[in-house]
Amino acid sequence: MAEFKFLGYLADLYGKKRVKIPLDSARKLRDILGVEFPEDRSIVLINRRVGNFDNLIGNGDTVVIMPIISGGGS
Amino acid sequence: MKGNVGRILRVNLSDRRISTEEIPGEMMGLFLGGRGFAAKILWDEVMEVDPLSEGNKVVFSTGPLTGLPLPSSGKMVIASKSPLTGGYGDGNIGTMAALHLRQAGYDVLIVEGRSDRPCYIAIHDKKVEILDARDYWGKTTIEAEHTLKEKHGRNIGCLIIGPGGENMVSFANVISQENRAGGRPGIGAVMGSKNLKAVVVRGTGNIPIFDEARLREMGKKGYQEIKEKQNYDFWIRQGTMQVFEWCNENSCLPAYNFREGSIPFSKQLDGYAMEQVKVDRKGCPLCNMQCGNIIVDCENGRAEMDYENVGMLGPNIGMADLGEVGALTRMADEYGLDAISLGSCLGFLMEASEKGVIDERIDWGDFEGCKGIIENTVKKEGLGEIIFEGVRKASERVGGDSRDWAMHIKGLPISAYNCHACPGMALSFGTSPIGAHHKDAWVISWEISTDRFSYGREKVEKVIELQRLRGGWFESLTTCRLPWVEVDFGLHWYPKYFEAVRGEGISEEEIFQLGDRIYALIRSYWIREMGVWDREMDYPPARWFEEPLSQGELKGYKLDRAQFDEMLSRYYEMRGWDENGIPKAETLEGLGLGDIAAVLGKNG
Repeated sequence: MAEFKFLGYLADLYGKKRVKIPLDSARKLRDILGVEFPEDRSIVLINRRVGNFDNLIGNGDTVVIMPIISGGGS
Repeated sequence: MKGNVGRILRVNLSDRRISTEEIPGEMMGLFLGGRGFAAKILWDEVMEVDPLSEGNKVVFSTGPLTGLPLPSSGKMVIASKSPLTGGYGDGNIGTMAALHLRQAGYDVLIVEGRSDRPCYIAIHDKKVEILDARDYWGKTTIEAEHTLKEKHGRNIGCLIIGPGGENMVSFANVISQENRAGGRPGIGAVMGSKNLKAVVVRGTGNIPIFDEARLREMGKKGYQEIKEKQNYDFWIRQGTMQVFEWCNENSCLPAYNFREGSIPFSKQLDGYAMEQVKVDRKGCPLCNMQCGNIIVDCENGRAEMDYENVGMLGPNIGMADLGEVGALTRMADEYGLDAISLGSCLGFLMEASEKGVIDERIDWGDFEGCKGIIENTVKKEGLGEIIFEGVRKASERVGGDSRDWAMHIKGLPISAYNCHACPGMALSFGTSPIGAHHKDAWVISWEISTDRFSYGREKVEKVIELQRLRGGWFESLTTCRLPWVEVDFGLHWYPKYFEAVRGEGISEEEIFQLGDRIYALIRSYWIREMGVWDREMDYPPARWFEEPLSQGELKGYKLDRAQFDEMLSRYYEMRGWDENGIPKAETLEGLGLGDIAAVLGKNG
């Protein structure tokens, strides 16, 4: 199983906040999710390291996909 | 010059003299408006005075885009010499007063002197009066606004202090439209020291615009572009409260007086929890992405929930109930106290109590205890007396090792981001021109998306770039940065808006130079007013260097002092400042601030 977590509006985009997906072999992140994310406005952390949608994901990996935000108000 | 009304209104509360003056063309060219004007006026007019004395001034300053039919342009900068820090202090506030001031024919209002009795200033176009405020003194900000509107009508802009400002609590702020807050470095206390309860403005004129038709057309396109952004709907749902979950996930939440960066009870306080109890939404004028989320708090009051307030009055003081956090936030707004500073002060007291540094008992998450302390802060009694002048002074008073965990920089309590594992944000806080605030350069997203734990050159460059844009350009225009930074509204619009307003363009290089000039001017102001200066003024508290996170995914992380110091030196070098963070004479001269170089040289 690989575990995926989505934050903010990207969770709405995916339809869930968390999902676990079994993978027979390592695959590109973008091919696993089947949803087009705004890549230039997203941060991908794979096992807590910065990654991208072309990285290969396998069973045991933990992926967090979060929007680029910019802190609070005044 | 179009785009600026070109006029300053000056009200002296000591001799009750009211006058107007033209803004020199050179000042408009060099400093643009808003923060630029405020810094220039304070440099020229407020020197070596006690911030709570008659000699201090309050500058209410707008910019060339303020109040125009453009996204989120209903903003104003409020500035003074800060009683909390002793240096330059400002804040921006969303308020109808910004529009009305310009429509009344003024870019800037300067209030000086001191009234011998409670008063307020009422501006109705050219008619400007200093009126008796005895009926309003003692009222909360919300009660006072209601009463002032009963007298002056609903179509006005109000800038009001609460009992916090009246009694000169050092972190008292200014409130407008019930929950819009600004001026966290104690600008409310400066108003209080002048016996000035409020400014009420009504303007009916037109703001001069070079090409109004083009501006309106581009403004309309801007509003439309914002509404079509992919994250617009989510922003409308949660606003800045979406930051809570994000910060918890990334260990940069303020928890237990910034000891920790994450909490196990995040879901009780985050944007999704807020959505469950949200009853209304409100915001600033001319904004179509209003970020004020209203909930009914645990005492049946209407509380506005913003990430900063919830972070500091939630996890930072161990509170786990959103309704209780809401009630504390509402109290802060009613009394006119900066909720960020209040959360920092309460967290400090809780830690001091836990460690036995003070005899009194206040536990983490003690809601009733917090309410009592807030009441006592305004009265300067009990534990409230200890925090009356902010967390730095509280630490000096209680002693022990509390200096290491009094979470401020230059006296301004750190806003709601833990930097144990965010060196770039620590630099941003360290070099912020008002003390540790996030508005100038919130760099955490960028650093997490690149190399989070780096102290490298690229991170310093990014902080400076953000300071130029957010702290220089947006603060001086004066318009809200959130459309750009939160929903990705095109940054390219702003020079176009500026050109349509002014009739002359501005290049990227000129925008950057404007930011650099304002930064050098404000830094020079601090140095002149403090008298002595060294790089330690830019250091975050020892906690982030000495005490690693003890829980969460980044358990064990802390900042590295030697690498932070290198990063700070790199920052100074890029800015043309010396090893102590003092702008070099050639830097000031290159920015058109040669006269300031002469003053700093004399002081040095």
